[in-house]
Amino acid sequence: MISFILIILTSIFFTGILIRAKSKAAGRKGPSILQPIKDIIRLFKKGSVFSTTTSFIFQIAPSIYFASVIMAIMVIPLGTYKGFISFEGDFVFFAYILGVGKFFNIISALDTGSSFEGMGASREALFSMFAEPAFFILLGSFALLTGHSSFQEIFLSLHFGSYISYILGVLATVVLFMIALVENSRMPFDDPNTHLELTMVHEVMILDNSGFDLALILSATNLKFAMYGALIANLYMGSFPLYLTIPIFFGVQLSFAIAIGLLESFTARFRMNHNAQYILILSSVSLLIFLGVLLVLGQFN
Amino acid sequence: MDISYFIFGSLGIIILSLVVIPLLPIKLKSTAVICLVIVTSALSLMPIIQVLYFHRILEYSFVVSRSLGTISFQIDSLSAWFMLLINVICVSGAFYGKGYLVSYLKQNANTTIHWILFVVLQISMLWVCMAHQALFFLISWELMSLSALLLVMLEHEKPETLYAGINYLIQAHVGVILLTVGFIWVYSSEGSLQFDAIKNFFSHHPPIGLFSIFFIGFGLKTGFVPLHTWLPYAHPAAPSHISGIMSGVVVKMGIYGILRMTVYLNSDYLRIGIIILILSLITAVYGILNAAVHRDFKRMLAYCTIENIGIIGIGLAVGLIGKGIGNQLMAFLGFAAVLLHTLNHGLYKALLFFTVGNVYQQTHTRDMEKLGGLIRTMPQTAIFFLVGGMAIGGLPPFNGFVSEFLIYVGLLIGIKTMSAAYISLLTFSIAGLAIVGGISMLTFTKVFGTIFLGTPRTRLHHRPREVSFIMRFPQYFILLVMLSIGLFPKFYFSAVSRIAASFIPLKASESLLIPESLLNSLTTTGWLGFGFVGLIAILLFIRKRLSLNALHPVNATWGCGYVRPTPKMQYTGKSFSKSLGKLLSFVVLEKKKYKEIPVTEIFPKSRKHSSHYKDLIELEILNPIVDRLLFSLNYFKFIQNGNIQLYILYGVFFIVLVFLGTIFKMI
Repeated sequence: MISFILIILTSIFFTGILIRAKSKAAGRKGPSILQPIKDIIRLFKKGSVFSTTTSFIFQIAPSIYFASVIMAIMVIPLGTYKGFISFEGDFVFFAYILGVGKFFNIISALDTGSSFEGMGASREALFSMFAEPAFFILLGSFALLTGHSSFQEIFLSLHFGSYISYILGVLATVVLFMIALVENSRMPFDDPNTHLELTMVHEVMILDNSGFDLALILSATNLKFAMYGALIANLYMGSFPLYLTIPIFFGVQLSFAIAIGLLESFTARFRMNHNAQYILILSSVSLLIFLGVLLVLGQFN
Repeated sequence: MDISYFIFGSLGIIILSLVVIPLLPIKLKSTAVICLVIVTSALSLMPIIQVLYFHRILEYSFVVSRSLGTISFQIDSLSAWFMLLINVICVSGAFYGKGYLVSYLKQNANTTIHWILFVVLQISMLWVCMAHQALFFLISWELMSLSALLLVMLEHEKPETLYAGINYLIQAHVGVILLTVGFIWVYSSEGSLQFDAIKNFFSHHPPIGLFSIFFIGFGLKTGFVPLHTWLPYAHPAAPSHISGIMSGVVVKMGIYGILRMTVYLNSDYLRIGIIILILSLITAVYGILNAAVHRDFKRMLAYCTIENIGIIGIGLAVGLIGKGIGNQLMAFLGFAAVLLHTLNHGLYKALLFFTVGNVYQQTHTRDMEKLGGLIRTMPQTAIFFLVGGMAIGGLPPFNGFVSEFLIYVGLLIGIKTMSAAYISLLTFSIAGLAIVGGISMLTFTKVFGTIFLGTPRTRLHHRPREVSFIMRFPQYFILLVMLSIGLFPKFYFSAVSRIAASFIPLKASESLLIPESLLNSLTTTGWLGFGFVGLIAILLFIRKRLSLNALHPVNATWGCGYVRPTPKMQYTGKSFSKSLGKLLSFVVLEKKKYKEIPVTEIFPKSRKHSSHYKDLIELEILNPIVDRLLFSLNYFKFIQNGNIQLYILYGVFFIVLVFLGTIFKMI
């Protein structure tokens, strides 16, 4: 419950902080931190333009996408506090319900019959497919390490005892960080600020959305950022009391946003046709975590 | 309870269909078949209910003659579960077929045979599930294979149908030969054709030899890679209601056979489990990769069947490994997942084949690149396909998620209790399942997008419209069952849990504890499904209310300022999956056919470019073997020379041989 509220709260500021970090790095003053959320509120009030080609899929897809993200957030815990729901194997549900949102996002892009949006849809489907095993190997390793299979129990019993387990924590952060970038179509994989449709991934899929629907998609993106940030924050919480976990939560989210901003300021986008291979590297990092877990458990002796 | 009434009753139904269907006027044939199929299902429902709800085991046997021995039947919970699946799919298939075959009403003889064999197919499959003796089992199995073959070849005048039929015929018979060899092996060792003899055999022999013979024999029907090559030909060639039944239940008979052998297995669980796990992972990934690139949508679904067989195999392997390491819960979850996924796949695959049947009936093409925008003219068909595609990708709140979830939980339990080598394999399986889910999402977004969304890519001969109600009715029925599994998983789980428990013989002191947390998880996923749907409904309601006053202009799709877009400029299905195909070009082979433009040709004339994906295993492994075989067998061609006198001589020769052999006591 508390994690749900905190994630919603964070999502309001997240993109603002990210953009502020980018503009500071570029030596600009930058817009207000609340500017992205103001844009979204403005969009919620506006009417929308629909393409003549589209069907009802296009109309319902953004709502389903948003609802899937909300459902996914429900299972994320905060330290000792459970999410709305916690059950054995809830991370499988987490991954699959996000899949539902993605499914509708992709077919809504195809619904426009555009020559560009299919391209973005194809890339999104491919990239998220390659990111999937990384997530499952990561969570599988943690399930092995802790002997539990729900988010809350995994994070609760994840305590870093030896040097190897510190490395595991760092690697897990890297993996989750990169997965967040893939899923939110950020810089090394996709450039949200590009102006050429041919080189877009996520942006080109939502070219035809406007008004309420676009606002839903944008806020779902913000929520997804905060969601992955919360997952990373949970790695470092253990069973601390609430007055410690909330500052940790916000600290991690803040540094997560700034890190993305800085990364976007100082790196170029990967080559599009090699993107899939780059994403597959994440799985090998996850495999490193897996081997580390085997080391910790003394399976090699 | 006596089940003899059902055995003789079903025999009576076959005879009745042989007599009645040819005599009826052509329009009434399909209605008669629907009645016969429903009567058969109703007759078999009695024993099924007895077994599944009152937990009895029904047996019946009669002595045919001293040499043939006793023919015996047994319906236990495993048989009953598969019989239930057969009935559900066959009844829906009969309804669907009535609508689908409307355009064949002129071909009297053809449809008569087709409908008689439809009844035979259902009853022979039920017999396969009931047989408890090798000889009767093989006869029913053969009856099933042959009736399925002739049902597939409805359009026998087309060369590709003939090719598909012969391909299936040969592979099915290689399978039957292996099964026969297996049963003879048991007979020579135990002296009995009863199935109990297999149990005795396994109890004091190393199982790996006999089990692999049976596994390959049944695997040929099931389509484990590399035994899958008949599927991608047979499914597209068959009419859609038959494809649905083939993929939904005929293929599952192989799973039934493997499960039946698993029940009798007594040792070496771990080794067999590991082998099946590796094979199933390859099957799943290979199947879905091929499904992702093909443009013939029925062929795509055939490969998708192979993928799901792989997933069922992973569940089976989880069960066997759990049994091998003595982890009852893991074994239980594995077998429960197998049974549930068999039902799930039967349902959504039948739904998907029926749906593409709707499309084929209206457009007369199986090439998805020629279609587009069908959601406007066939909205209900589009929704059926969408639901089927989501369910097959394992997305909640539909039924595919439930069985895949069980497999994941089983694998996670396995991870905690095994040693490093096995842990790695199980973790790979988790990642493999995840990647299969990912590719399956890519596949079905591609197919749905290409067939149903956007604008029509080519001009069709006549404007497609929604199909008749009799074709949609079974699809609504299947859709409802699927939703009920997704939303009330605990009910179905408790239905399979008793069957799954029968795979794990417990000692008197032990009892299988299904942890409360697991049941809790299942119930929660069901409620989350409801919550998800509710949340979507609320969002759509708010959206509607908020946008009441706003302006909603309608305009063309944004084309980067280009004002004259044509339907041909849409993104195609081929390009949608092209990047995946390119990345994994060592698995999915693309063969292109085109003429290069020479440098000297200044004004190139119009030319054709075609590209097709080939099956790696068929092209690189099986075909060379078959070619070698053909090469050597060519030397024996003189035996089959079309000369009837010589053929009679062969018969005489054979009889003399047998006669002499008997006299000199050599046989």
